[in-house]
Amino acid sequence: MHEVSIAVSLLDLISTHCERGGYRSVQSVRLRIGRASGVLADALLFAFDVVKADTVARDAVLVIDSVSLGGICGECSSPFEVDEPYVLECPLCGSSSFKIEKGYELEIIEMEVN
Amino acid sequence: MKVKVVTRILEANDRIAEENRKRFKATGVFVVNLMGAPGAGKTSLLEKTILKLKDTVRIGVVEGDIAGTDDAERINRTGVPVVQINTGGACHLDANMISEVLPDLPIDDLDMVVIENVGNLVCPAEFKVGEDIKAMVLSITEGHDKPLKYPLMFQESSALVLNKIDLLPFIDVEIDRLKGDALSLNPLMKIFEVSCKTGHGIDAWAEWLRGLR
Repeated sequence: MHEVSIAVSLLDLISTHCERGGYRSVQSVRLRIGRASGVLADALLFAFDVVKADTVARDAVLVIDSVSLGGICGECSSPFEVDEPYVLECPLCGSSSFKIEKGYELEIIEMEVN
Repeated sequence: MKVKVVTRILEANDRIAEENRKRFKATGVFVVNLMGAPGAGKTSLLEKTILKLKDTVRIGVVEGDIAGTDDAERINRTGVPVVQINTGGACHLDANMISEVLPDLPIDDLDMVVIENVGNLVCPAEFKVGEDIKAMVLSITEGHDKPLKYPLMFQESSALVLNKIDLLPFIDVEIDRLKGDALSLNPLMKIFEVSCKTGHGIDAWAEWLRGLR
């Protein structure tokens, strides 16, 4: 349900970029959302459709690039990716010494504007 | 046309959280963001902690709830300053809500502020409010599967308080598995087993908290 707060923050950012750039409308907004960010893409799409009404982003479609959780093992030095939103051990060698490198993203990447 | 605009979506919240943090820092207040599910025992733990510490640590409390003032009334009875935030439906506190109630807390005369977040294992972990640390309360009746179901909160929390430990003989929770998974997600996490009902473990938790500021 916090996807509504995130949709509002997203809309604020889009509006700010439009004001600065002098854009009149937004066709699409590309986001990068990590698997471990805790944000549900479907809920965010729904929330954004509700909050975008009567704003510069009213015609905007969200395009979401999902990013798997992944990192590098400190033991076997292999990069890895997992399907779950968490990592307990390196899936290759089982070591619990690893560094998470991606999967927590919650970013706007680009907008298509007029 | 396409324009590149790489920006973190919660940047605005993080910025306000950083301002809150500076205001707390300026008066030397240590801030704890206390999270956990509804009924885990956040307010009970807070009541017990205040009673232990209030002679040596000047504590203030921000209570976050969707509706009602029950928790603030309970804290008020312990004699420390408390402010209630009603989020009116929102499932977490955000930095702006804290910024708005800051004038209602006598932070110049406090050593520590505990912000009791809305009961929820998901969203509060994603929104910084200006805290020094996050801590979470999990009652053991919630089950040993919680770390892997709600990993973010366990990863974000510096301490895990396992409440209702007096119920251990009566339920099927695998406590070692719970602690093991929590530590796998967050090896630096401090774990305290407590019972707000019997008082077990409250001293160790309260002393750890006192030592942080």
